[in-house]
Amino acid sequence: MQSANMLLKKIVRSSVLPFAAQHGMKKDLLPLSRTLSLSLCLKQDNSCSPSEKLDLDAWKKVMKSGLQEVSETVPERKELSTLAAAREMVEMWRIAGRSVPENISEEQLKTFIECPSKSAKKKYLRFLHIKELSKKNDKRKMNEKRERRLETQQERASETDETKSNSFVCLWSKCMDRAYSWRAAQSMIFGQPLVFDMSYEEDMSIREVANTVRQLVLSEGCNRRSVDPFHLHFCNLQDDSLYCKEFIKHYREAWGKLLITATDQCYTEIFPKDKLVYLTADSPKVMKTFDHDKIYIIGSMVDKSIKTGVSLARAKRLGLETAALPLEKYLLWNSGAKNLTLDQMMHILLTLKDTGDWKKALEFVPKRKYCGFVNKPVHELRKTLNLINTLKLGKKHEEVRKQFAKNYSKKLMQK
Amino acid sequence: NVQPPEKPLQAEEWNRLRESFRSPEVFEEVMFNSMVRCNSPIDVAKSLLTHLAKSHGDIAYSLLVKYLALCVQQGQTSEIRDVYDIMKVRFKIIESGAYNLLIRGLSNSDQWRMALTLLEEVKKIMIPSRTNYESCIKAASRHQELNLAFELYHEMLTKDLVPTFDVLQALFDFSRGMKDAELQKELFGILLYLRENQIYPHKTFMWSIKLWFESIPGGNWRGHLTNIKDSGQCPVCKHQLEDSNLTEEEYSNLRERIIRDVIHGTDTFRKTSPQEFEAFQTFVENRLPFDIVIDGLNVSHMKPKKMHCENLFDAVNHLAKNNARLLVLGRKHMLSNSSNWKREVMKEMQNKADFFFAENISEDDAFLLYATLRSGKHCKFVTRDFLRDHKACLSDSRTRHLFRKWQRGHQIAISSSVDRKRLNFLPPFRYDCVVQTTGDTWHIPYKDTFDEKYSYEVPRKWLCIQQK
Repeated sequence: MQSANMLLKKIVRSSVLPFAAQHGMKKDLLPLSRTLSLSLCLKQDNSCSPSEKLDLDAWKKVMKSGLQEVSETVPERKELSTLAAAREMVEMWRIAGRSVPENISEEQLKTFIECPSKSAKKKYLRFLHIKELSKKNDKRKMNEKRERRLETQQERASETDETKSNSFVCLWSKCMDRAYSWRAAQSMIFGQPLVFDMSYEEDMSIREVANTVRQLVLSEGCNRRSVDPFHLHFCNLQDDSLYCKEFIKHYREAWGKLLITATDQCYTEIFPKDKLVYLTADSPKVMKTFDHDKIYIIGSMVDKSIKTGVSLARAKRLGLETAALPLEKYLLWNSGAKNLTLDQMMHILLTLKDTGDWKKALEFVPKRKYCGFVNKPVHELRKTLNLINTLKLGKKHEEVRKQFAKNYSKKLMQK
Repeated sequence: NVQPPEKPLQAEEWNRLRESFRSPEVFEEVMFNSMVRCNSPIDVAKSLLTHLAKSHGDIAYSLLVKYLALCVQQGQTSEIRDVYDIMKVRFKIIESGAYNLLIRGLSNSDQWRMALTLLEEVKKIMIPSRTNYESCIKAASRHQELNLAFELYHEMLTKDLVPTFDVLQALFDFSRGMKDAELQKELFGILLYLRENQIYPHKTFMWSIKLWFESIPGGNWRGHLTNIKDSGQCPVCKHQLEDSNLTEEEYSNLRERIIRDVIHGTDTFRKTSPQEFEAFQTFVENRLPFDIVIDGLNVSHMKPKKMHCENLFDAVNHLAKNNARLLVLGRKHMLSNSSNWKREVMKEMQNKADFFFAENISEDDAFLLYATLRSGKHCKFVTRDFLRDHKACLSDSRTRHLFRKWQRGHQIAISSSVDRKRLNFLPPFRYDCVVQTTGDTWHIPYKDTFDEKYSYEVPRKWLCIQQK
C-alpha cells in the first residue's frame, strides 16, 4: 500500500505527465470499482429497481479521498519560477480543453511570456498547437506510407525477380539537379535579372520574416526548374540579418552554393536606374507588357498588418519607375488584397517571360480572389453591357450609366 | 447531439447511453456541454460524475470545469465551493477559465467575500480580466461595501483595464441616497473619467446618474433631459457649454504630433515626399493665415451628376462669401483639362482661393491637417472624410482624444441630401461634446442606445443637472 501511495503522490505532483496515463494508473490501482460496476450492470441489466437510492455526492468522496494523504504531505506550495508557472498554466489550459500545444520548449515558453497581451498569448499558443497537430499528422502519414511501401516490396519480392534491361541507370533526381544547375548557371551569365529587395526587415515581425523567406525559397525553386530561369538577385541583404538566418535554416550548407547573386548592395548600384521597374500593388501605373530589357524588382515583404505604400515609398525615394500587375483588367476581382505572395509573383513573371500571355500568367493568382477572366477588354464588355441596357431600358438609363462609368474610372485613376 | 436525461441515472444506464453514442470517447464532454446548454438539473450532472468517479476513480479537469459552469449558471453556491475545494487539492494551480467561473459564481452569492480571495489568487498568476473585477466590484457595492468597491475600481484602472459600463452604473446605483462627501468625490471622479476618455454613457446608465444626483440628501440636484442648441446654450439652465478650443499647449502638441505621426510616420515617402512637403510648407508660410481649408477632391465628388469642377466651384463660391481666405488642396491631375476638370473653371476659382496641387500619388489629407493647424485656432476645414485613418496613425490615446476634440470643433461637414439643389454646409460644433461641470451644474451627453459606436458620431442628447 505504501508503495502505491508513493506512486500516486509522484503522479499527482508531476502534472506534466499526460492525463491519460493517470487514468491508466488509477484504473490499475483501484480495479475494484470498475469491475464491480460492470458486473453489476451485467447481472442486473434492466432489473435494477428505481427505488435504489443514488448517492449523488459520492464523486466528491472519491475525488477527495484518493488525495487526502497527498494534500497532507505536500508542503505549502512553493513559489514557482515564472517559467515553471507558465508551463503549469499552459498544461492546465491543455487539460481544460483549450487549443494549446502538448509540448512546449523553453524558448517557446519565453516567447509566450513576452507576448504583450492576453490575446497575443492565446494566438501564439494556438499557432503552436496547430503546428504541433500538423507535424503529428505528417509523421503519421509518413509511417503509413512506409508500411505500405514495405508491404508492396514484400509482395514484389515474392514475385519472380526477373531483371529488366534498361539502358539508363536510375539516377533521375541527380541528373535533373545537374541539368537545372546548368541552366541556372547559364542564366547567371546570360539571363534576365530579377531583383528581390531585402530591405523590409524592420517593417516586419519575426514571423513575417520567416514567411517571407519561405516564399523566397519556393520562388527560387520554381525559378530553378523553369525552362529559362531568371538571374535572381537578392539585394540589400545584410550578412547578420534575420533574412540570412532564416535562409540558412532552410538551405543549410546549400545556401553558399545557390546559383543566385546575394549582395548587400542596392539594386541602384548594380543596374542603371532607367532600366529598373519596381513592382508594387500600390503603383498608379499598370503593367501592359512584359519587357525583356527591364529589370523588375519585387519587395521581399509579407505584410500581415495593413501597411499600404511601403514599397511604393521605397521606389519613390529612389526615383524608380513602378508598375502593378493588370489584375483589374484581366480578372473580375472578387475579394482579397491585390498583393500576391512572392512565389505567385515568380510564377507569373516566369510565364510572362516565356509566353507573354497574360491569361496564362494570371492563372497563378489564387482562385478565391477572382470570379473569372475578363475575356475581352473591359471597355468592350461595358459597351455590350450598355447596349443590352439600352435595348432593355431605353435611352435615359444609358446616360446615367455612362456618367457612372465615367465617375468610376475616374475613381480608379485617383487611386 | 444528445439530449441530457431529465432525472439522475444509475451507472449502468449511463453505460448504456455511452455505448449507444457514436463516439464514446467524447461522450462525457458532449453530454456536459449539452447539460450546460439545456440548463439541466445539477442532480443529473452529479449522477454522471458519480458514475465516472466510481468507474475511473478520477474525473478530468475539463469535466469539472463544465460542471462548475452548470453550477454557476444555476447559482449553486455550496456546489461551487465544493468544486473549488476539490480542484484546489487535486491540481497545483487552477487555470483562468475556472477562476472566471468561480469568481462569477461566488460574487453573486452570500459568500461573495470568497470571490475577493479568489481575485487575490488570480493576481498571483496573471492580471485578472475586467470581468473578474466587474463581478467583485458589483458584489462589494451590492453589499454596501462601497469603499472596497472603489478600492478595486482604482486598482483596475492602474492595471490599464477599461471598466465596463455595468461597473460604473453599479457604483452609481448602490450609492443612491447616501450622504458621504468622500463617496460623492469618488463618483464625481467617475464622471471626470468619462470626460477624460470622451466616453458617452448610454440611456440606462444616464438614468442611474440622474437618480443618484437627485437622491443626494440635501444636495438639491435636479436633472432634466434636453437637446442642446447649435449655439451651445442649454435650454434648461441657460448655461453656455464649454467650447472645443484646445489650450495653447495642447494645440502645439497636437500640431507637432500630426506632423510627426501622420505626415512623416515611419517614412515620409509613404504619404508625400520631403521635397513636396517642404514646398508645401513654404507655400503655406507665405500665405498664412487661412480661414478655411478645403479638401478639393472630396468636395468635388459631392454631387455625382455634376462635373467635378462645378461642385468645387459651388463650394468655393459659397464659402468665399465673408471674405474668408480659402485654401483648396488638390492633386495635379485636376489641372489637365479633362471632361471633369475644365480649365476655365479652374482659372476662375484660382482667383478666389489659393490652390495647392499635390502629386497624384500623394495624400492630400495630411496637407489639409497641416495647413489648418498651422493657420491657427480660428481656421476650419471642409471634408466629408471622417479622418479615422489619420486618427489611427497617432500613437497614444491622449493625442487621439485631442485630435477628436479639435476635429469636432473645426470640421465643416457637407450634408449629403441629394434632392436639394444647393450644397449644405454644416458648421462645426460651437461647444464641446463631453461630460462637463461648473460645480453647480453638470452636463452629460448620452447615447440613445447601447451600441452607437462610431467614433465620429456625437450624441445630440444631454442630461442637464443643476443645483438649486
